[in-house]
Amino acid sequence: MKTSRNLLLYLLCLISLILASSSLVLAQTPKPKILKPCNQCHAPDEKILRGTLGGISQKAETFSVNAGIIWTVKFDDKTKLTGWPPPVGKIPKDKEIAVKFIERDGEVYAESISVKQPAKLPEDKVVSTEFVAEAVERGDALIIDSRPAVRYYEGAIPTAINIYDAEFDKHIDKLPKDKNKLIIFYCAGPT
Amino acid sequence: MSPSSASKAEKLGYKNVKVYLDGMPAWRKAGKLTIECVQCLIERVKLDIPTIIVDLRPVQEAKKGHIPGAVSIPLTEISTAYEKFPKDKKAPIVLYSYDTKSAVQAFEIISVWGGFTNITVLEGGFEEWKKINGKIATGDLPTKIVWEPKPRPGEVSVEEFKAIVEKRPADKFILDVRDTEEAENGMLIGAINIPTQDIPKKLTEIPKDKEIIVHCLTGVRAELAFHTLKNAGYKTRFLNAIIKIDPTGRYEITKE
Repeated sequence: MKTSRNLLLYLLCLISLILASSSLVLAQTPKPKILKPCNQCHAPDEKILRGTLGGISQKAETFSVNAGIIWTVKFDDKTKLTGWPPPVGKIPKDKEIAVKFIERDGEVYAESISVKQPAKLPEDKVVSTEFVAEAVERGDALIIDSRPAVRYYEGAIPTAINIYDAEFDKHIDKLPKDKNKLIIFYCAGPT
Repeated sequence: MSPSSASKAEKLGYKNVKVYLDGMPAWRKAGKLTIECVQCLIERVKLDIPTIIVDLRPVQEAKKGHIPGAVSIPLTEISTAYEKFPKDKKAPIVLYSYDTKSAVQAFEIISVWGGFTNITVLEGGFEEWKKINGKIATGDLPTKIVWEPKPRPGEVSVEEFKAIVEKRPADKFILDVRDTEEAENGMLIGAINIPTQDIPKKLTEIPKDKEIIVHCLTGVRAELAFHTLKNAGYKTRFLNAIIKIDPTGRYEITKE
């Protein structure tokens, strides 16, 4: 009887301890693990840091990544690297990366690093100077200059209208009614 | 910018959307015709953007009435007028004649010389200019282009910009007009982020008693914001250069 009461007491203690510790964890605001722009395509994941690569030291086997806050992450030769040729120390700064990590001895360790590949427009969407020149000649396309007006004032492709990208939504009335009409967008080139 | 607009158009249901990714620099380099509307020229002059205007009509015609500031180089003399054009091939030159067609001839001759990257034809020519009641000057015109490459109006020098960022004087306000997503990847210490397109509705957040120093990534949006602010009565300048900023606020400026 006495032992069972002791056991009960012990259990109660244990439960309250667990509750206390878990509420402690909940009370801590979780550190951000994803940089806002990454949110557009990726859901937040507890085990993955998504953001831009900061400083990196091959010698110290440490890098920093801006995933909403700056995280310091350890790596070693077991860290898997995809999307960039090794070593890890050669990944250029500001690259967008995803880091699968574990916490080990109070340190954040990268199990794998994946480097984002440049966003590629599907090839059939990108057109050449000649394609545009022919469309101007035929006159069957709507050509839209996406640059700010100041740049458009300084010269544009013949027949092009100016809809600055950031103000696109305000000017959809300038788009054709026919959804099959050829529309060509251009700006000041890839930067 | 163009890929982003293209995807917006596709979301609206447009099925035949293309992107000319190489854009304006490739177009100009290929020597393809570049035009600008009369209204564009008016805006350009109003904004004080350096512009060389060339009147291609016969001198006698031009004397009777021409666009103020124009230089006279008649179309008939263009093919031998190479020396009259500036050495700086990036010089911004607007060609006009009675209409578009005759100015295009001059454009094509100049294209053959090669190298000029900033020549445009005034669409509709002088006829169109009269139609929209553009200002007209009379009398003699200069016959040679005088061109000194100048900073764009409102440009702050890279050196001064750096000094402002380092010292952060109390009478200056650094405004980062990139999109919020870009700014979140790193901003200058002490800068405030308001994207270019949001400025008109957020003017109350920008102090009137300080000089507003604007930057973006390349200078294009900063220049746009500069004009918006100037029109709203602010004292302002902008950085016309590429600036990259890391999450700690360290930065690197490259000027073309």
